Amino acid sequence: MNKITFIICCLIATYSQAQSQMPNVQLKNLENNYKNVYKDYSETDKVYVFSFWATWCAPCINELEAIKENYSEWKEEVDFEVVAISIDDSRTMRRIKPLVNGKSWKYEILLDTNQELKRALQINNIPHVIVVKNQKVEYVHNGYVEGGEEELFEKIKAL
Amino acid sequence: MIKNTIYLLLIIGILPYSAIAQEEDNNKTQGRFFGGVESNSQYYVDDPKLGDFMFEDRFRSNNYINANYNYGKLTGGIQIEAYEKNSLLNYNPKYKGTDLATFYLDYKSEKLDITGGYFYEQFGSGLILRTWEDRALGINNALRGGRIVYRPNNNISLKALYGRQRSGFSVSDGHIFGFDSEFYLTDYLNLETSDLSVGVSYVGRYEETDIENPKFSELTNAMAFRFNYYKGSFYASGEANYKTEDAVLDAQNEIGNDFIEPGSAYLLNFGYTKSGLGVDVTLRRIENMGFYSERVPEILDANNTSLNYNDKILNYLPGLTKQHHSNLANIYVYQAQASVSYLDVDKMKSGETGGQIDIFYNFKKGSTIGGKYGTKVALNVATWYNLPGKYKFFPQEYDTEFFGVAQKYFADYNIEIKKRFNDGWRSGLYFIHQYYDKSLIEGGEVVNADILAIENTWSIGEKQSLRLELEHLWADADRRNWAGGTLEYNLNRNLSFYVWDIYNYGTHKEAEKNHYYNFGGAYRFGAWRIAANYGRQRGGLVCVGGVCRFVPENTGYTLNISTSF
Repeated sequence: MNKITFIICCLIATYSQAQSQMPNVQLKNLENNYKNVYKDYSETDKVYVFSFWATWCAPCINELEAIKENYSEWKEEVDFEVVAISIDDSRTMRRIKPLVNGKSWKYEILLDTNQELKRALQINNIPHVIVVKNQKVEYVHNGYVEGGEEELFEKIKAL
Repeated sequence: MIKNTIYLLLIIGILPYSAIAQEEDNNKTQGRFFGGVESNSQYYVDDPKLGDFMFEDRFRSNNYINANYNYGKLTGGIQIEAYEKNSLLNYNPKYKGTDLATFYLDYKSEKLDITGGYFYEQFGSGLILRTWEDRALGINNALRGGRIVYRPNNNISLKALYGRQRSGFSVSDGHIFGFDSEFYLTDYLNLETSDLSVGVSYVGRYEETDIENPKFSELTNAMAFRFNYYKGSFYASGEANYKTEDAVLDAQNEIGNDFIEPGSAYLLNFGYTKSGLGVDVTLRRIENMGFYSERVPEILDANNTSLNYNDKILNYLPGLTKQHHSNLANIYVYQAQASVSYLDVDKMKSGETGGQIDIFYNFKKGSTIGGKYGTKVALNVATWYNLPGKYKFFPQEYDTEFFGVAQKYFADYNIEIKKRFNDGWRSGLYFIHQYYDKSLIEGGEVVNADILAIENTWSIGEKQSLRLELEHLWADADRRNWAGGTLEYNLNRNLSFYVWDIYNYGTHKEAEKNHYYNFGGAYRFGAWRIAANYGRQRGGLVCVGGVCRFVPENTGYTLNISTSF
């Protein structure tokens, strides 16, 4: 039982701390190019929304679909970009390209096929969103419910 | 434990030293501490219908603490795992107690990445090597050793590694050597409108054997070639893998000098995609590709070996079928039949062959079918068969043909239609037909199943929403018909409650006529997720991403807590 107390203490000790920046990890995009999630998304004052998803994750797809409905309008209002990071492994990764096009998504897609980035960020559940501005993590949220995209946009605007 | 503590002290010792060395090059560098915590606990109770809890330790808990420190080009980290008093029901019994599970130290510059300690790696699509972690399945088969990744420019990537595979809190006996390369040929070939890359990999497993005068080499070699091509809307990729002759496991999980075969795996994928349309075809043929860090599985208890817990497996051979989210569509789940397995005179398997087709189509807004918001349709067809050829039960031998099919293992034909009717109402319709020859895979009957699921999501006001899913499964054998439903209420972005039930009303056995219900809630904030629920677990295979874990029926309270920092 002491060990459990220890774990609970660790949990409390880490409360309210969010990871401060994206790790130095390179992932391929759908065009077969490597992108560094820290260095290649560093335009001054631009907001980057890293959305972790998978072809088998219904709420993830709902969230990205909901953002899509407003994407061009919102982009006129704020300088931001969605980067959709797929954690599909080799079982389902072949479905990414046709699904993304089938749904007419305009997001840059990164492939975290063996979960290198997911592990580095210790993400346990998807959907999981990380909002970055000037290479600093400003906001983190996991899970998606109807209308959640509006709240996400409010957070982006407030940065 | 002592050994692990020494490693831990080494890492803690090296980090600050290297941090000082770094400081001289770059005054701006700041240290960064990061990681995550996950805790999954269950309290099992006696159930008047499903029966009493028959195992030790009613309270069981799997806990993971992952902590890393980065300073400039150096990163080091550890993972501590605690299974107290015991791991959750039917996890690998080698996960017991609290101990240091993994550790690593990594140096990363623009071109070079050097790792010592435990690391995760995948070559190509993983058909000859994949080490990964999946806590829900109890898989962590990281290699402990060293790895060098060298990327001299954007067109070349080279990797070399050596390690022994993690099993429980220790490592297995086999020594694993690997090499992987990938070349982007687009620039070299002056391809302007298309893109081509190729890769070559090698994995060697050296394990001493007790067999006297073995007729197989103690070093087993696996090689692979892969390519990836696209031109405009068209794309294609493929892999050819070969594993040299090695002793084949018999039905008693033993090896000898009489049954020695090579293995192979071929994968071909191509498709066409443009805005609003996607078509994808995958074909795969696998023969005798069970590839383990130890040839003979470790016997862990009366009924289970390491293979039952996905332990000591070097490669990744997932079932290529669509992953459904409805509860009833996950009763008959296909697992890839990649190994040689002789169950009976009429059930002799040497692998699998088959394919999968996906079509995604978006009916545009304003069209007749599209309506005001558009309509999305996804079609998926997958069929998998045994390899055709001549099989002999005694002495065990086979001679397969490359093309053609033998007994059908599994088929899944399904359609998904998603539509938004107005701002506050979204709907989904799913129809799935499955064929599952349970006798060839787990033992049992041949089942034809049809599943219909209807899902509706309504927004209530600004923040609340309600999701209702109703489903039914018609089956002509096994446990026959099921009915089910899920109701989910999202109070706001952070708080959700759900209740679901599946009822096996159609079974011919009175003892199986059970409700498997579950209810609970989840609170999410930032990276935190806290979920609690109570319910009954249907016995059988619990699958995540095409890999499955067997669990007995049970009832209990569950608490999951996770976060990252």
